[in-house]
Amino acid sequence: MNTSELIKVIDTTRCTACRGCQVACKQWNELPGLRTKNWGSYQNPPDLEWNTWTLIRFQEYVNDKGTFKWMFRKDGCMHCTDAACVKVCPSGALYHTEYGTVGIKKNLCIGCKECIAACPFEVPRYNRATDKVSKCDLCLTRLQSNQQPACVKSCPTGALSIGGKDKMMKAAYDRVKELGGDASVYGDKFVGGTHVVYILSEKPEVYDKLPKSPSIPLSVIAWKDWLKPLSLIAGGGVVVGSLLHYILHGPKRPDEDVSGDKHAEGGK
Amino acid sequence: MTNHYCDLKNADVILIMGSNAAEHHPIAFKWILRAKEKGATIIHVDPRYTRTSARCDFHVPLRSGTDIAFLGGMIHYILTHRKYFKDYVVNYTNASFIVSKDFYFKDGLFSGYDQAKRKYSKDTWVLEKDGKGIPKRDMTLTNPRSVFQMLKKHYSRYTLDKVSSITGVSKENLLKVYEIYASTGVPGKAGTECYALGWTHHTTGSQNIRSMSIIQLLLGNMGIAGGGINALRGEPNVQGSTDHCILYGNLPGYLKMPVASLDTLEKYLHKCTPVSKDPQSANYYSNYPKFFVSFLKSMWDNKATKENEFGYNWLPKLDDGKAYSTMHMFDAMYAGKVKGYFCVGADTAVSTPNSNKVRKAMENLDWLVGENIFNNETYEFWRGPGVDPKKIKTECFLLPASASMEKEGSQSNSGRWVQWKYKAAEAPGDAIPVGEIEIKIMAAIKKLYEKEGGPNAKAIVNLKWDYLDSKGRMNVLKISKQINGHFLKDTVVDEKGVKTLYKKGQTVPTFGMLKADGSTSGGNWIMAGSFGANGENKMMKRGKDDPTGLGLYPNWSFAWPVNRRIIYNRASCDINGKPYNPKRKLLEWTGDKWVGDVPDGPWPPMADKAKGKYPFIMKQDGVGSLFGPGMVEGPFPEHYEPLEGPLTKNPLSGQLINPTIEIFKSDMDKTANADAKFPYVCTTYSCTEHWCSGALTRWQAWLLEMQPELYVEIGEKLAQEKGIKNGSRVKVHSIRGQVECVAMVTKRFQPFTVEGKTVHQVGLPFNYGWLFPKDGGDSTNFLTPTVGDANTFCPEYKAFMVNVVKA
Amino acid sequence: MPEKGMIKITDGFERIVHWMLAGSCILLFITGLGMMYRELNFIGNLMGGLVALKYVHNFTGLLFIVSLVLATRMWWHEAGKFSMPEDLDWMMCAGGYLWHVEKVPEIGKYNPGQKMFFLTVVGCGALMGVTGLVMWFPVGLSMDLVRWMYPLHALGFVVLFAFFFVHLYLGTIGNPGTFMAMIDGWATKAWARKQHPKWLREMEESGKLEVYGEEKTEAASH
Repeated sequence: MNTSELIKVIDTTRCTACRGCQVACKQWNELPGLRTKNWGSYQNPPDLEWNTWTLIRFQEYVNDKGTFKWMFRKDGCMHCTDAACVKVCPSGALYHTEYGTVGIKKNLCIGCKECIAACPFEVPRYNRATDKVSKCDLCLTRLQSNQQPACVKSCPTGALSIGGKDKMMKAAYDRVKELGGDASVYGDKFVGGTHVVYILSEKPEVYDKLPKSPSIPLSVIAWKDWLKPLSLIAGGGVVVGSLLHYILHGPKRPDEDVSGDKHAEGGK
Repeated sequence: MTNHYCDLKNADVILIMGSNAAEHHPIAFKWILRAKEKGATIIHVDPRYTRTSARCDFHVPLRSGTDIAFLGGMIHYILTHRKYFKDYVVNYTNASFIVSKDFYFKDGLFSGYDQAKRKYSKDTWVLEKDGKGIPKRDMTLTNPRSVFQMLKKHYSRYTLDKVSSITGVSKENLLKVYEIYASTGVPGKAGTECYALGWTHHTTGSQNIRSMSIIQLLLGNMGIAGGGINALRGEPNVQGSTDHCILYGNLPGYLKMPVASLDTLEKYLHKCTPVSKDPQSANYYSNYPKFFVSFLKSMWDNKATKENEFGYNWLPKLDDGKAYSTMHMFDAMYAGKVKGYFCVGADTAVSTPNSNKVRKAMENLDWLVGENIFNNETYEFWRGPGVDPKKIKTECFLLPASASMEKEGSQSNSGRWVQWKYKAAEAPGDAIPVGEIEIKIMAAIKKLYEKEGGPNAKAIVNLKWDYLDSKGRMNVLKISKQINGHFLKDTVVDEKGVKTLYKKGQTVPTFGMLKADGSTSGGNWIMAGSFGANGENKMMKRGKDDPTGLGLYPNWSFAWPVNRRIIYNRASCDINGKPYNPKRKLLEWTGDKWVGDVPDGPWPPMADKAKGKYPFIMKQDGVGSLFGPGMVEGPFPEHYEPLEGPLTKNPLSGQLINPTIEIFKSDMDKTANADAKFPYVCTTYSCTEHWCSGALTRWQAWLLEMQPELYVEIGEKLAQEKGIKNGSRVKVHSIRGQVECVAMVTKRFQPFTVEGKTVHQVGLPFNYGWLFPKDGGDSTNFLTPTVGDANTFCPEYKAFMVNVVKA
Repeated sequence: MPEKGMIKITDGFERIVHWMLAGSCILLFITGLGMMYRELNFIGNLMGGLVALKYVHNFTGLLFIVSLVLATRMWWHEAGKFSMPEDLDWMMCAGGYLWHVEKVPEIGKYNPGQKMFFLTVVGCGALMGVTGLVMWFPVGLSMDLVRWMYPLHALGFVVLFAFFFVHLYLGTIGNPGTFMAMIDGWATKAWARKQHPKWLREMEESGKLEVYGEEKTEAASH
């Protein structure tokens, strides 16, 4: 892959939920398969996990016309441009790569879980055993070796594709136009644009666990953009204020000893 | 497949019926989606809404086991609405042929039925011939005894109302499918059908496919790009295993296994070689003796001589009228008649119907030999659930086999492409290819026979099985060449006046050069040409050129027969050899030769009365069979209910079930038709994440994680009635056994209205067994009946009756 | 070292709790800042890496919570409640800190400023403890809730950080004589008269006052 901005398009209208991507991801990233239970759904593991960076969500849906649809959505890191996780990461473990995607340096992660709370898509997951957070890095080392990510490589139907931003966005919009109806492109209109973009056949709000208009949470903005500088201002203000007080008003000293007690120390 | 995977993209309408292509044939589905991108309509007809349905234009739910009613209704629609491709039907099918006066159909039975034997005499299922022995024809198709009129009459009973009432499909949905599919009955359009085990796993399995063949012939969809009937075969080499006679009634290349009454080669060849008096019928199977004798030569080489009938009598023979399917084998084993069992690459304790009977039957074995890459429930039957190992006398062996990626060889896909593959990794431990295991066992047996003799000793001691190299390893190339065939002496072949000398030992470049005089050998005639005469391994070819633009890729591997990518391809052209659809030109007669795909024979098109031939060269009469007497149930497919169903009476006739199926009678073969104790139709299937019995895939943590345990899919209404919650544990019972599993309550199963009553259907995968994982559930085949298709004995896994209760 | 005639302001337990609280608080500030500002990540290196820093922060947090509970129990009676009307009077003239006041209203052991400081520490400290624990163990809670723990934690930090400097100033150079009261527990009577005249008087009257070099006067007064 060249070093321009890359976009991975997930065309849900072409996905057959074969879950080749889910397995390919585990194979390439050497993530273990764990014992699960059938919980009444094909969707398994039930959610993203430290060992499951991508997951097909299965959803049975009846639209307002009474038409039944079985929808499949490949969930995983959206690789935001304004990435809340990068914003909150205290150690620089999460960072923007040369492709605009969000990489993760495992060795720098301190397991503080701040990114977990910050991500509007609820993507990063914590592993208690290693005390690290993990998530999809879009197979960064594969990209750097001019290879497609494992999920894209494994997709038999063309539901997954990756390429330069302009080309992919154009293709996505062309596809949506062709599909018509409620089809839409999801990803380019928020968080500065994501580097994983969906082609959805239904309105975004219909999909389980897909925020309609995700943003960097207000909590993160309040914290990082307001309180963080405020802490310096307040701390600094107090220090300066104290000094001014000392200089202008002077300390509060005990009055002259009237009872014959010893002067308090620190007097003039 | 009559066609091949890439060709699916050429279709205008794709009917997926009897298949869950997206889940089980993801790569096939890629080509289906390509067709969809180009504007094709994709229809899924299936009892259950699956991942396939999700990607089709629409899904039509149909009650399990009623495909013939559905398709019969389509035939009726095509004929009454004149949607058939008349030119094609008249010239390329036996529509115009005249059926014998003695043939009749009455109340679900054809003429010649023997109730006691549950078999037909086919004496009356014949087409009339003139004085010269050439079939009589009425090109106007108006003769009431013509196949066309007989067909019309037969399916006139399959009215919309009737079909809807049987299948549970709404009339609106029936018409929608019929209209769209029948729209391909014009020269410019192609419709194809994809089926898989959803059609074959029925007591009417073969006739399901026959029904579709009739439709495809009526619509002129056979032999064209984007048409045909396409069996999607699951495992990468299941096509190869069939080509190389995995079925008991076959020899390699679909030659027939001899029966005892054919005690001489002459009798056998007389019986198996069709004769046609029609000069325009190529009747290619008249070459049968060449293929068969070459096969015998490949077995016994120079020990097979004209004097000893090329060793014909060394070949084991089947008892006349007796079948030897897996179900028969276990039935005999249960009766104590089978003492030893080689179970190679299979998990029959999980995969064979009526698992209780199967597991019980194995207790009668003296010995069991397993060859597999993993251990499984079959090899461990002696300590399975409810079995006391102390009471089992069977001595069990498990030989470690290498996996497909650990050996070199050929692999045949559904599209008949035989592709060479290379070894990717060394097999672990002592594991060696299964073929090598067999060769080594056979070598030891040969030595024993040489020393001690025994029954049919010559067949064994004379066997040419010299396939080990100097290191004692199997030589795959040598076997492949043996399969392809050799010249056994210097031979001059005259091709259109050009004489070529082939030296003794050279590989035969095409089966047209095989001989019945013992001068050639060929292990499997359809594979002749997989090597060039110069020894080039064509299976290794990887050319990506596509001269027709239809995705034939003639230089990618080798496709049998003779690299033909679409069989019956001459039927894509009119009688003058001009393509019916110039936009999808598969083949064209240029006046002296055919251009395009490898044609079905070099002869000119049939308009040339002197040298021209009909297009269906493998058929005795040279045309497609609307009237097909080859089937045991009758020349026209007829709807019968599954062995176990919800109805007490067949709405179409007095014959409730297929009159020709064999009924197994052991004490463990109970059935419960229309029984209030088992009120729900049940079907079984696999899932994307596991392969069949799961014996290979359950050990794979990534796959097991996605589908961890047995589940039953239940419609919301039924679940509500039974108070079953999604994700809760339930028991599923049939009269033969029960399984416990998780309930998956879903909108994807909807109740059917059948004969005015509500019929619920449920379904379970059959991918689990007790050995691993321990808490994953056991075989779904505890539920299924021992019964199979009357032609092939493919078991009826897809329709039987159960009850579901909370666990 | 105390000199003769100085009076006992704090006992040993009080001072230990105070310094546990102060120490954990300072360590939490330092380690917290090490995580809050990537520029201060180097602080982690002093502790053997950022992961170690995280654990120092988390476990110091536990110490802080324990100290806070002890301090609250200990000081609640005297510093947790305002006593009217003198506290109000004191506040009206800002305790004489901001402008010249002829006579600062007489108040008890803790003036309303100290009380407010105490209550802020208790309140914000509890907030820090709760939010910190949730951040450490976010299991089973909705992400929307967990998310707000971070700004709340930061908000608590902003307040505590600012108050810390106020406290530091007032406890040292701002109020000469105060610092040693938290070191050895002794202060001069003059200091007490200035800072807590009412308390001093009450103590003297009840005879509970401990004066360095003298026997306790408690028994004599009864």
